[in-house]
Amino acid sequence: MPRTRTTKKLAQRIDLNYFREARPLRQWKFRLTLAALALVLAWIGWHAARRDNAVYSAGKLSAAHAVFSNRCSACHVTAGGLFLVRKVSDHACLDCHDGPIHRASQTFTPSCASCHADHRGAIHLAEVSDARCTQCHANLQTRTGPSHLVTHIESFASDHPEFAVLRSEESDPTTIRFNHALHMQPNLTGPSGRVQLVCGDCHRLVSNASAEIVLGQHAAGAGMAEATYAANCASCHTLQFDKRFAEQVPHDTPERIHAFVVAKFQTYIAAHPAELRELRQPNRDLPRRPVPADYRLLTPPEWVAEHTGEAEDLLWRKTCKECHALNFAEGQSQASAAPLDTRLTNLAMLNTELPSVAPSNITLRYFPLAKFDHAQHQLVTCESCHAGARTSQQSSDILVPGIKTCRQCHRQGPQAAEARCFECHTYHDPTLRKFGPGHSSIEDLLSVVRRAPAERGTGAGD
Amino acid sequence: MSAAPLIELTIDGRKVAVAPGTTVFDAARINGIAIPTLCHQQNETPVGVCRMCVVDVGARVFAASCVRPAEAGMVVTTCSERIESARHTLLELLMADHPSPCARQQHSGDCELETLARAAGIGASRFPRRAPRPQDDSSPAIAVAHDACILCDRCIRGCGDIRNNFVLARMGKGGATDIAFDAAAPMGESTCVSCGECMVSCPTGALTNKFVVSTALGAEHGAQSATTEELLALPVFHNVSGTFLELNKNAVIKRRYRKGEIVCREGDFGSTAFYILEGKVSVSISSPMAHVKTSGGERGFLSRLSSLLVGRANDHRAEDVTRRSIPIDAPVDLDYNHPVAELGPGELFGEMTCMNFYPRSATVRAETDCAVLEMLRNVLDTMRKNKTLRAQLDRTYRQRALEDHLRNVPLFRALDQEFLDRLRERVELASFAPGQLICRQGEPADSFYLVRLGFVKVSERHAGGELVLAYLSRGDYFGEIGLLGEGARTATCTALDHAEVVRIPGEEFRAMLDRFPSVRGGLEAVAQERQQANHERMAVLGSVPLESFLAQGLMEAQSLLVLDLERCTRCDACVNACADAHDGVTRLIREGLRFDKYLVATSCRQCRDPLCMVGCPVGSIRRRSSLEVIIEDWCIGCGLCAQNCPYGNINLHPFTVQADDPDHPGRKRAVVRKKATSCDLCTNQAEPSCVYACPHDAAHRVEPRQFFGSLVGAPAQRDAKGAK
Amino acid sequence: MRIDRTHTGWLVASCALLGAACVLYALARPTASPEPMGGTPLGLAFGITGFAFMIFAALLGARKRVPVWRLGRAQTWMRGHLWLGLLSLPLILLHAGFRAGGPLTTALLWLLIIVVASGLFGAALQHFMPATMTRQVPLETIYEEIDHVRAQLRAEAAERIARAKTIVVPENPDEEGAAARGAEPAAPLAAFYEREIRPYLDHAPGPSVLADRAQAERAFAGVRLLLPPELRDAVDDLENICEEERQLARQARLHRWLHGWLLVHVPLSIALILLGAVHAVVALRY
Repeated sequence: MPRTRTTKKLAQRIDLNYFREARPLRQWKFRLTLAALALVLAWIGWHAARRDNAVYSAGKLSAAHAVFSNRCSACHVTAGGLFLVRKVSDHACLDCHDGPIHRASQTFTPSCASCHADHRGAIHLAEVSDARCTQCHANLQTRTGPSHLVTHIESFASDHPEFAVLRSEESDPTTIRFNHALHMQPNLTGPSGRVQLVCGDCHRLVSNASAEIVLGQHAAGAGMAEATYAANCASCHTLQFDKRFAEQVPHDTPERIHAFVVAKFQTYIAAHPAELRELRQPNRDLPRRPVPADYRLLTPPEWVAEHTGEAEDLLWRKTCKECHALNFAEGQSQASAAPLDTRLTNLAMLNTELPSVAPSNITLRYFPLAKFDHAQHQLVTCESCHAGARTSQQSSDILVPGIKTCRQCHRQGPQAAEARCFECHTYHDPTLRKFGPGHSSIEDLLSVVRRAPAERGTGAGD
Repeated sequence: MSAAPLIELTIDGRKVAVAPGTTVFDAARINGIAIPTLCHQQNETPVGVCRMCVVDVGARVFAASCVRPAEAGMVVTTCSERIESARHTLLELLMADHPSPCARQQHSGDCELETLARAAGIGASRFPRRAPRPQDDSSPAIAVAHDACILCDRCIRGCGDIRNNFVLARMGKGGATDIAFDAAAPMGESTCVSCGECMVSCPTGALTNKFVVSTALGAEHGAQSATTEELLALPVFHNVSGTFLELNKNAVIKRRYRKGEIVCREGDFGSTAFYILEGKVSVSISSPMAHVKTSGGERGFLSRLSSLLVGRANDHRAEDVTRRSIPIDAPVDLDYNHPVAELGPGELFGEMTCMNFYPRSATVRAETDCAVLEMLRNVLDTMRKNKTLRAQLDRTYRQRALEDHLRNVPLFRALDQEFLDRLRERVELASFAPGQLICRQGEPADSFYLVRLGFVKVSERHAGGELVLAYLSRGDYFGEIGLLGEGARTATCTALDHAEVVRIPGEEFRAMLDRFPSVRGGLEAVAQERQQANHERMAVLGSVPLESFLAQGLMEAQSLLVLDLERCTRCDACVNACADAHDGVTRLIREGLRFDKYLVATSCRQCRDPLCMVGCPVGSIRRRSSLEVIIEDWCIGCGLCAQNCPYGNINLHPFTVQADDPDHPGRKRAVVRKKATSCDLCTNQAEPSCVYACPHDAAHRVEPRQFFGSLVGAPAQRDAKGAK
Repeated sequence: MRIDRTHTGWLVASCALLGAACVLYALARPTASPEPMGGTPLGLAFGITGFAFMIFAALLGARKRVPVWRLGRAQTWMRGHLWLGLLSLPLILLHAGFRAGGPLTTALLWLLIIVVASGLFGAALQHFMPATMTRQVPLETIYEEIDHVRAQLRAEAAERIARAKTIVVPENPDEEGAAARGAEPAAPLAAFYEREIRPYLDHAPGPSVLADRAQAERAFAGVRLLLPPELRDAVDDLENICEEERQLARQARLHRWLHGWLLVHVPLSIALILLGAVHAVVALRY
């Protein structure tokens, strides 16, 4: 009989309770699930037992904060409530850091964490993205009404305004007269022969801590040192005042110069009393003037005053005036018109003839609110950026390069130098910074549980 | 009646006068002269094959007295030396092949052949024995030992002439002749209905009752073979042949039960009927549970909560308990809410079990000390022929059960008592043999039928084939249309086994309607509804070509659970859901034959021909007006429906039920009972649980012709949800 | 579940949701806050939504435990599981701002990716594996009962060969080879049974000629030549039994393919939920 298949035969092969029995697939699903759960619990438990909270972190902490990897509560404050979205309150940051506000007129103060977000790996927290700045500066509003600053800045490359110093179309306020073009010429006469001056002969980088505080930046070697007479000008522009002396007058205030000169002459005449007798110099006779006596015998004060007057005339009217702006008082011009005798006998008159030198007003920082680090830009020749220097003849020229110069390299995108806001600007007002010892002991820092500052004692021996 | 002249003849020197047509054997018997026979039996037409009854009538050869008619002037010698010698030789020849002692001789000592042989002083036979013939044990009731058969023909005549079953015949020729069932099939595989007539008729141990051989009619409960005199004294055995009773002494036993003893248990298989002589018995079945689920009450809080979620709290079906009584194999039906009844002396129970070998339908326990007669089929048959008993049975039925059955008919439910009382008296009780036609489709309808006992098949014939509408059992009815006198029969009704029906002739009914005109209107409405439903059904049936379905029997189904195998991931979600919804027993198995890309799952198909319903002893498996086949809670777990279902959709499962504790009357305790379970389409939910729970949209409960319509040619409509 | 036209609604809704999420993200993110996205309100919303989707997806397992509770059709849950589960990945990516974060969050992201990928793999399998199984294993049975059915096949084969041995072949001296067959017509078949069929059905170690269909056909054809026509049925039956055994072996393999990915998907998803909960608690706490 051939094998037949009927529904009844097929059905009767099957045990009615088969579906209730343990089946390998289900058993293994169950076992593997239990195993997976056990693994998870073991993993979590292992980390919990070692008080290792780093497993929960949302990313590696920056190098500065890495020591707190286990102390979530160092920054994440749970006192804020379970459903608070941002748990890193400013208090947590300010426990250790100082973050002065930007401007009193800002409409809102973003929280620390909104700009300085950690858990992004070994980054520098200070490197804040542009968006954090443009959240205000893209549409700047102030608490005190419209701002005098440019109100729409999206990025350096796009609509950062021209630098303020160049924008105002004022000229350099300096009173020193200096002609760059002249000085850059070849074959200048130098102290020891012909010389060709280069930018670096006068403009040097400065690197000192006090500058840092003053300038409010972290950079080392950021700014340019001011050009001083002693360092940069003295070698060529000497301040001799009299052929009798090789020395120069000190580059100082007119009073000191006067005192120096007077002292010098006095010393000299005391040493050389023979000079009191001044011979007539026929080449100094003036036409249609009475011929002076062949010799004059002066008293020492007279002699000093006379020669001082001469020297100072030279100085004030020629030597100093070459660079400086000297102001003579009104009475002084009359006094200078008086005859020499009169002048010589009236020391008081002589004294009042001292001019005042206008303050030189050399600008130390053309960018008061931004930093520029010449050291980082050493690779570029000075003239690449300061293109106008070689041809500038007036010291009223502002030779700082405009933003266009910077934008040649500092753009966004690949093959460009960075143009992020923080590279030049700082949010936190540096003048408001406080420095002082902290209030955590090392033990505090390394313990897993965070204690509020009030709980911690002084740094020592808690 | 004019008296025919008597014939006068001489038998053994005595003058006797007998009526014409009397055989010599009967003539001798009437006059007290016994002639030994083997093949002659009083209730059968004599055939004269054994030649034991030969007598000398003065002719050249001996005459077989059982067939030879007496003639006037005949001189008969029943016993002479020659005759003795002939009989002796005959016996010796017969004993040559007889496996002495044969089964009958062993167990009841009354093998007729051996008795005669012993009386004739025959021990071992001189003649060689032929090759042994095989034993046929395939029948459940009767053991066939061909070796012991003497070809007396009694069984053949009994099966054919008396019982009209025509299963037995002779087969073969000469020495190789044997009795055969059908065309020499094993008895158990033939059309033999195990009536036992052949066994009762067989003079030797060729056909013996297996149960007699084993212990069914055993010796417990004070069993004693009732003597023939005792039996004959009972009015119900009046006119039963004494010889018959004599021959069937072990087929009927008197038993005594003390109060409280169990006579028979529901669900047991059996083959006997009981007749109460004295005392009272209670008939009951275990407490029902709604729709075969475990009993409530002991489940925890969470389960009750979850059953709310599942919607089981509303497991109340629309037409719950239209049946208020449970039909059982006794003269009375049991009330659903309190399934206990009482039977007294003169009442007969267990007929269905005895005649058709259905399982016991209820538990019978002795209420008082009682005496019963337990009998096998042959004795019961004889008893039922007895007019007294018939009248008693009819009367009991009319009094106790008929009204309930009538009330179950929706047509009669609203009738008032007077009408019913009159109706009760006017019904006719009729019995039908297996396969007999009760009414034919197309005939003018003129009667209403109510089934009292047995099974009736109601089928329709149409273009596509025959469709069985229902199997009706006790308490079911058919033919309301006939009552109103209009229309032809829409279906053919055939008795499936020995069925007894109540018939209400149409004209009687109509006569009564004239007296109660108010009833007519309601009846007509119902009748019209029926007509309408029939028309629709015929229309649907005739429209679709069926051949491709028939191979798997899908045509039989009205609702299939199909699993789309291209979506099914074999995850068993459907099975789990089914089990969850049905107390942990799944009603579907994800196995079966495929049709196209679908797996036809093993789950009740709501067949058009619900073979499962045939034979339920308590009528608990039934079909409601919506399609589903349900198994009511009084199922006794006999397993017949599971056997009958050709698709294996019904399974038996043990359930814990609360049953009466026999040790502590009035209290209940948990017992484990087997009950049959099958898919009920989850009608208490909006969607069958299996379909609901399939995550891949692979399970569908569909009406097959609509669903597969495109494949078999009719327009396709997906997912007719069980064709409700 | 196969993804077909009935999923259109879910597809559209998912795309819309994802689109809206992306738009919101794009709008919120250009401010390029350096802080982790997860902590921002939008990030938190994404995180909560994504986790909620994951939890719903995980609840599918629980739903399958109570299949008859009327909590929504299994198919609806399945569709939700597919689409919402798929959506959880982009939502979590948006929540994380496309950064993996620390160890825990990296692990979570990997788990999510593996779970979603395995889910997609499983969904892809479900598009063609059932059809493959249906086609290649016509004699399919219930996977969990394969061993049970195999035992029945063994018993059936043993009974069949026993029956075959009792078949009496009427002797026909004219027929060729009748003498050779002699009294034991079924001997070649019995030998073949002992040598090949029984070890194959018993899963004896080592290769079997019956493991491959073509080879088995040839082997059986060879045996048939040695047998009288009366035994043809027996050979056919045994061949059928071996075919069924082969198909059951294939069914077992295919079934494991179809369901094996769950061994990755389910445990990892539970781990994902647990870790996700830990992450949510810790992240919200800090």
